[in-house]
Amino acid sequence: MEMEATDVRFVEFQERIDRGEKIEAEDWMPDDYRNQLIRLISMHAISEVMGALPEKEWVPKAPTLFRKLAIMAKVQDEEGHGQLLMRVAEDLMEPLGKNREDIFSDLFSGRLKYHNVFHMPAPTWADAGVIGWLVDGAAIVTQGMSLSCSYAPYARALVRIVEEEGFHIHHGESICLSLAEGTPSQRMMLQDAVTRWWPALMMFFGPPEGSQMSSHQVQNMRWKIRTKTNEELRQRFLTKYVARIRSLGLSIPDPTLSYDQEEGIWRYQQPDWELFRSIVNNHGPMSQERLGLRRMTYEEGRWVREVLAKHDRVGA
Amino acid sequence: MSEQKLEFDVYEVFAQTEVMGHHVHEFSLLASSADMALSLAQQNFLRRAEIVSIWVVRRDQIAKSTPQQRKQFDRLEKAYRMKQSYRGLADKWRRYKENPLPTVSPSQSPDEVSGSLPRP
Repeated sequence: MEMEATDVRFVEFQERIDRGEKIEAEDWMPDDYRNQLIRLISMHAISEVMGALPEKEWVPKAPTLFRKLAIMAKVQDEEGHGQLLMRVAEDLMEPLGKNREDIFSDLFSGRLKYHNVFHMPAPTWADAGVIGWLVDGAAIVTQGMSLSCSYAPYARALVRIVEEEGFHIHHGESICLSLAEGTPSQRMMLQDAVTRWWPALMMFFGPPEGSQMSSHQVQNMRWKIRTKTNEELRQRFLTKYVARIRSLGLSIPDPTLSYDQEEGIWRYQQPDWELFRSIVNNHGPMSQERLGLRRMTYEEGRWVREVLAKHDRVGA
Repeated sequence: MSEQKLEFDVYEVFAQTEVMGHHVHEFSLLASSADMALSLAQQNFLRRAEIVSIWVVRRDQIAKSTPQQRKQFDRLEKAYRMKQSYRGLADKWRRYKENPLPTVSPSQSPDEVSGSLPRP
């Protein structure tokens, strides 16, 4: 297995990263770098796949033909992003003898977690709008950071993904602005959706690091797998969206939310981090239902994959 | 989930989005035939762009430079091949257009010059 950290390859690898070089799939890399990427990218991939499910619920119920076509396109984009990211993860997992079937079995067994926001219900059309506007808005904050990831194949996938997320944000903004300009009950529906999603949005970036980062996170920063902390990303999200949300006459369900001019940071109420852990461990309101749907389509689609697979090697 | 894993090939996808453009690498996908790869390529990567043509190549058919070779590419000094190494030419031409250099006085007459060439 891997040599100790004094191995010259570790030093050279870190020097490449420090020089701003990008790592390619066939380059030598420390096992831990590979494992961190597999964890991050599998989680991102499966979150795209699961992330299409709340919006998919609104495809049959979209209010106009244009909205129906647009939300179908968005659902298709999310699944497409899952395809891109799964390819990146598979190339990393190849030396371990794993592929996307392992990603799915890890999802079903609960070993692989998907993003907290996709465990939540989307009971109204306004929820579909808020997912596009604010959930995808939050995703862009994270993905914008990851564009500079030291692992080139992931960064390349993100260039494509972020470009399409730009469309998703317009789609979500357009739905929310229509509701905000609509009847009192439409405006109320939008307010309810914002109220419903706010805690999940605050959880989105993960717990604040405070004064101590985990050793994994310190290492990931040194390797430039990520360049910002959870809290830095959340602060950026607040700077980008709080004023916009309020400009539509909407209120944010956090009376403590305020900008501290002196410190230059947002003060906000911490969401319930115990609840966050419980949600991502598949105990959220929609966790089991969506996992069940994914498992069912995976099993029912098995014969299609078997027909499409390479027959000369099946069972060989 | 205990059943045997299905096998697919990795295909690399290249697409041309303008008639005068090149086929540019888009991404990779899994397929069991070139036909399947071509149809998935459109769905996976080319939902919005205008497409002129798509190429798919099975990844194991591509010969690639090794990480070692890639490192050596960086080290090659090639300034002497570059236009940028020849700065200031336009300035000189402009200067000599206005102020030509003095006429060169030949050391030999034109007849002597051609006479000195080797005979076929």
